[in-house]
Amino acid sequence: MANDVVIQTRNLTKIYRDFWGRKKVRALNSLSLDVTKGEVFGLLGPNGSGKTTTLKLLLGLLFPTEGEVTILGKSASDVTKNERIGYLPEESYLYRFLNAEETLDFYGRLFNMPANVRRERSKKLIERVGLTHARRRQLKEYSKGMTRRIGLAQALINEPDLILLDEPTSGLDPIGSRDMKDMIVKLKEEGKTVVMCSHLLADVQDVCDRIAILDGGELKVFGRVQDLLKDQGVTQIKTSKLPDAALKEVEAVLARHGAKVLEIDHPTTNLEDLFIKTVRESAARPGQRYAPAGPGNKPAA
Amino acid sequence: MSLSFDPVAFNLAEGLKHWGTVMLVVAIVAFFTALVTSLLASGLAGPWQLFVHLGGGFQDLAGTSLRRCLALSQLTFREALRRKTLWVFAVFAVLFLFAGWFLSDVTADADLQVKNYVSFVLRTISWLILPVALLLSCWGLPEDIKARSLHTVVTKPVRRHEIVIGRVLGFAAIGGLVLGIMSAVGYVWINRQLPESMRSQLTARVPVYGDIRFVDNEGQDKDAQGNILIEGINTGDENMFRSFVEGNTKSRAIWEFSNVDPARLEGGGRLVLESSFQAFRTYKGNIEKQLLCQFTLVNSTKKLKVPLKAFEVREFRRNVYDVAAENPSLQDTDGKTVELAELLAGGKLQVETACLSSAQFLGMARPDLFVRLPDRPFAVGYFKSIANIGLMMLMVVVLGVMSGCFLKGPVATMLTLFIVIVGRMAHGFLDTLVTGKVQYHNPHVQFQGAGPIDALYRILTHMTPGVALEDKPLFRVINWLDNQALTVLWAIRSMFPDFTAYDTTEYTANAFDVPWAEAMLPNLAMAAGYCLPWIIVGYFSLRLRELESK
Repeated sequence: MANDVVIQTRNLTKIYRDFWGRKKVRALNSLSLDVTKGEVFGLLGPNGSGKTTTLKLLLGLLFPTEGEVTILGKSASDVTKNERIGYLPEESYLYRFLNAEETLDFYGRLFNMPANVRRERSKKLIERVGLTHARRRQLKEYSKGMTRRIGLAQALINEPDLILLDEPTSGLDPIGSRDMKDMIVKLKEEGKTVVMCSHLLADVQDVCDRIAILDGGELKVFGRVQDLLKDQGVTQIKTSKLPDAALKEVEAVLARHGAKVLEIDHPTTNLEDLFIKTVRESAARPGQRYAPAGPGNKPAA
Repeated sequence: MSLSFDPVAFNLAEGLKHWGTVMLVVAIVAFFTALVTSLLASGLAGPWQLFVHLGGGFQDLAGTSLRRCLALSQLTFREALRRKTLWVFAVFAVLFLFAGWFLSDVTADADLQVKNYVSFVLRTISWLILPVALLLSCWGLPEDIKARSLHTVVTKPVRRHEIVIGRVLGFAAIGGLVLGIMSAVGYVWINRQLPESMRSQLTARVPVYGDIRFVDNEGQDKDAQGNILIEGINTGDENMFRSFVEGNTKSRAIWEFSNVDPARLEGGGRLVLESSFQAFRTYKGNIEKQLLCQFTLVNSTKKLKVPLKAFEVREFRRNVYDVAAENPSLQDTDGKTVELAELLAGGKLQVETACLSSAQFLGMARPDLFVRLPDRPFAVGYFKSIANIGLMMLMVVVLGVMSGCFLKGPVATMLTLFIVIVGRMAHGFLDTLVTGKVQYHNPHVQFQGAGPIDALYRILTHMTPGVALEDKPLFRVINWLDNQALTVLWAIRSMFPDFTAYDTTEYTANAFDVPWAEAMLPNLAMAAGYCLPWIIVGYFSLRLRELESK
């Protein structure tokens, strides 16, 4: 295995069986893939495609029926590999009777960290995920977004080299989702390897370097996001706004070269950007509200 | 009051040997079962995986972290508090608020009153703490697995045995806290509930027991086969705990004490003998007049025999006989004055006990006579009994956690409850089946019945159980099969700890100290002997279990 390969699976297969050992479902079929150091890797697929099963096989929560898994150079069943791994489960299955500080302290102790290191890292992580104001509240009082944030914080308590995120943006509002994606990008900048599985395609497109698309437990597509999404048959040119005359000239030049103009339009932003812009402006200017145009109605200043 | 059972000193070396044998047999059986199962499940790769897991077990053990164990135990402790464990105090408080109404009896003797209070407190604590420990430990891990909180733990560098140990420590800590508070409240309650005049009865007597043997009416100490007589006369009890000596005959009960240290005696050298014998009268006579009993102190090495002044046996009471107070000078049968130190040379002493009332009988068992050393404070005996309840609770916790490692909450509860119930209520029956000792205090009484195949043969052929089977091939096969059945029974019986041993209420309630060699040491050894394999079973169950299995 090359030094920069962090995860390697070969013919990884998982068959769930019933109590009598009869085959119930083949959740994963001969999955072979590599994840390299420092990349953000996305596992995509519809529900029941085998994404979460793959993650759980990597973590040793499930045992493979066939095939091999190597993670950070060790077997998935080797508990010492977990010293360099952070894991955010699909739901935040944390202990709801603990508060944020106690939660991070508890998980820090599982990594055998001394008390001063735990205190320092807990403080830093709570700030990083924006939960300073709620650090003493029990997790059962947290919203879904706050629970995901503390879940991410516990996954990072050991400053892991490899972070496995199961549906990291699921259940988050657009701002929470953006924050989570920003944090993933930041983790990548810090040199960490991130593997995330999600069925929210836009999120994956935003942050992942490479993806694997699974369906019915089988690997269907695997490669760099940019390469996979690039349409080699179409050329896109972006400029600042052009006057009509200039547009006509451009069309003429393109026609001379035998190119067919498919669309000339002003680009639109996406809904996520619009939503975040609106919320941030609302925070900056409290009291501003939308009012439909009409007699006697003036938009607020 | 004496004990209704025979406290026998535990032989640690013998116990370890027995434990080692059982463990070896269980380990071999488990290994070969796992080997065959792995072969059937995964073909030739199966045994290899088995060895990998066994090797992994040793690696995990080497990587044990106390910090992780304590973190998990602290988490368990908090979780138990969250589950409203402390509500048990409410039940405890209600029982104690009203118990005084029903337990106080001004007409009862002081020792009986003390016995009632102490028994009530210890039994209440025991019956309240065990269900709490059982339910918490059986539901803890399965709930954690169901809620998937455990996933965030096992994806950290946590060894599975650390989870088991952490859980056990956490539940034991919460149980210990509850037990500590209950026992302190109970202790204060007993002291406050008892009238001032009865508090002197709160003590912990320290007995030194000897071995008992008998001499028959003819003065013979052996039976026709040359066996030492370990029983006296049976006055008609089918289930005989005490056997009797006949009055005014040569019949005697002889206690042999081998460890009477003069330095440990009352007042630095006063020999105090305490007895509680049962009378069996063949005629009514003067019912006001008690039977007469006489002790004779014997040192067989020095050939000294000192008859003591006779005394009246108060039935159902403690008969305290201070040798020096009753006998200002000790004289042997030749009238020569003897010093007590001479009699107790080498810590050995024989006490011959005779009944002097003609045609009456005195019933005796081994614990009915003892050398009484200086008493210890009641608190010593009381808290030793509490420690035994704590040990039993610890065993229930380990058992519950182990069950939770491979079963769901309700099934784990059923399994644990079953083992506890059998261990508490049916262990004597299992002992009878396996050892054949119908009367446990009598090693010479052997099981008179037969094995299942033998019994079946006798039923089918209408053969009486009293007739021995002839030495024929068929009967040898039957005998061999029955022996195998007995081995299986022996293995099954070994799986159930004798939880009755942890109920030391009878010692404390009868104002005895809980002895180390007879009660504390065997109970500690039994707890360790069972908890260790249970933790190992829990560890491998958790290690080999797919936590996410659908």
